[in-house]
Amino acid sequence: MDNKAAKYIFIVLTVICSVLIVLSSIETRAFDPIRSAVGYVLVPIQDGVNRAGSAISSRLTEFQELKEVRSENEELRAQIASLSEENSRLKSETEELTRLRELYSLDTQYMQYPKVAARVIAKDSNKWFQVFRIDKGYEDGIEVDMNVLAGGGLVGIVTEVGANYATVRSIIDDESSVSAMSQHSSDGCFVQGDLELYEEGLLRITDIERDANLSDGDAIVTSNISSKYLPGILIGYASDITVDSQQLTKSGYLIPQGQFTNLQEVLVITMTKSEYGIADEI
Amino acid sequence: MRFKRSLKRILIYAALILAAFTIQTSVFPLITVFSSVPNLLLILTFSLGFIYGSMTGMLCGFFAGLCMDLFYTGPFGFYSLIYMAMGYANGIFTRYYYDDFITIPLLLCGANELIYNLYIFIFRFLLRGKSDILFYLRDIILPELLFSLLVTLMIYRVFLKMGKKLDSMEQRRGKDLA
Repeated sequence: MDNKAAKYIFIVLTVICSVLIVLSSIETRAFDPIRSAVGYVLVPIQDGVNRAGSAISSRLTEFQELKEVRSENEELRAQIASLSEENSRLKSETEELTRLRELYSLDTQYMQYPKVAARVIAKDSNKWFQVFRIDKGYEDGIEVDMNVLAGGGLVGIVTEVGANYATVRSIIDDESSVSAMSQHSSDGCFVQGDLELYEEGLLRITDIERDANLSDGDAIVTSNISSKYLPGILIGYASDITVDSQQLTKSGYLIPQGQFTNLQEVLVITMTKSEYGIADEI
Repeated sequence: MRFKRSLKRILIYAALILAAFTIQTSVFPLITVFSSVPNLLLILTFSLGFIYGSMTGMLCGFFAGLCMDLFYTGPFGFYSLIYMAMGYANGIFTRYYYDDFITIPLLLCGANELIYNLYIFIFRFLLRGKSDILFYLRDIILPELLFSLLVTLMIYRVFLKMGKKLDSMEQRRGKDLA
């Protein structure tokens, strides 16, 4: 009796799930209101558990870190000495730079993008996907397609927004692809996440033109022509650029600038590319 | 009366699913020492299916999957479907269920992890032309499988004890009423 009922319910649920999968594949935003509504309940729980968890784990690691910090301290002292010397030299160069910048009216907007800080409250702990959730949502002005930074570089893009949370897909996710370019030559390329490279802390650079002036060590930034990413955000540095087997394009690896492991705080640029375009035209 | 009894069970299962989900998404990512973590929702789903049968497994799996679907941006129902199916399928093995017999749960755990991860691999990676299955097996599927086996070994008995306690409480109350 119970078995038969279970079989019927199983068939019904299977059909419902399949229909939902098809529906949401066609209309990707269809389920956002439901996700957002559930977020009202789920996010405070995740937030609380995450806070408690990080408090405990930071206690545990504190002791272990003390030793490391001591040796690090000595190293840092030595570094300060050399840096302060370098600093005085750089100061004079900065003055020169500002003069040159004015001359060339270089784009310094990267620094001027409006940003808001957010805390990472949940992350997919299975390794298939590199997706995480932050504690700011549309009530804080976050919108889909806003760029996310951490550690001085691009780390991801907002893919979904609820009232009090937003979901961010990391650029190291296997499905991520960013339109990018070399900072100094403006030669275009794509930066793609790759699960097989992620362990080594690398991303893939593809589709560089064969004659492009892009070589190892070049800074790679988001491209002007990207539809979702604001221009000029540092992604990382190129390495091992080689010509592909068809001799038409070059590809290689990218050492990311952004921080990906143990991510706790991120910065969200509260301006989307479409808004940027409008501001530019005015 | 039966409804009131099962209501209590439903609440306990719901709490377990929610706890597993929050630990999975908000606590495990903080532990960076290990290269992989167990899949708690999957362990919960197959354990309940194996101990209590297809109906319980299927419904618990469905809600566990729903949690995942609500968390992700991908196609809605992707996780609900697989978790629900796994809960149902594990319920079929409930006829081999004996108290304190840990071999079958461990075998089921391994099989479930494999099928679940292959499902993700096929539909989210292979379809995009990423076909290096050996890499994914070695680096992602096997580590998670081992961690899950370990956790199953530790908490399966806790589920059993909890289940027995619930049973005896319900029986006692049933007697009182009679």
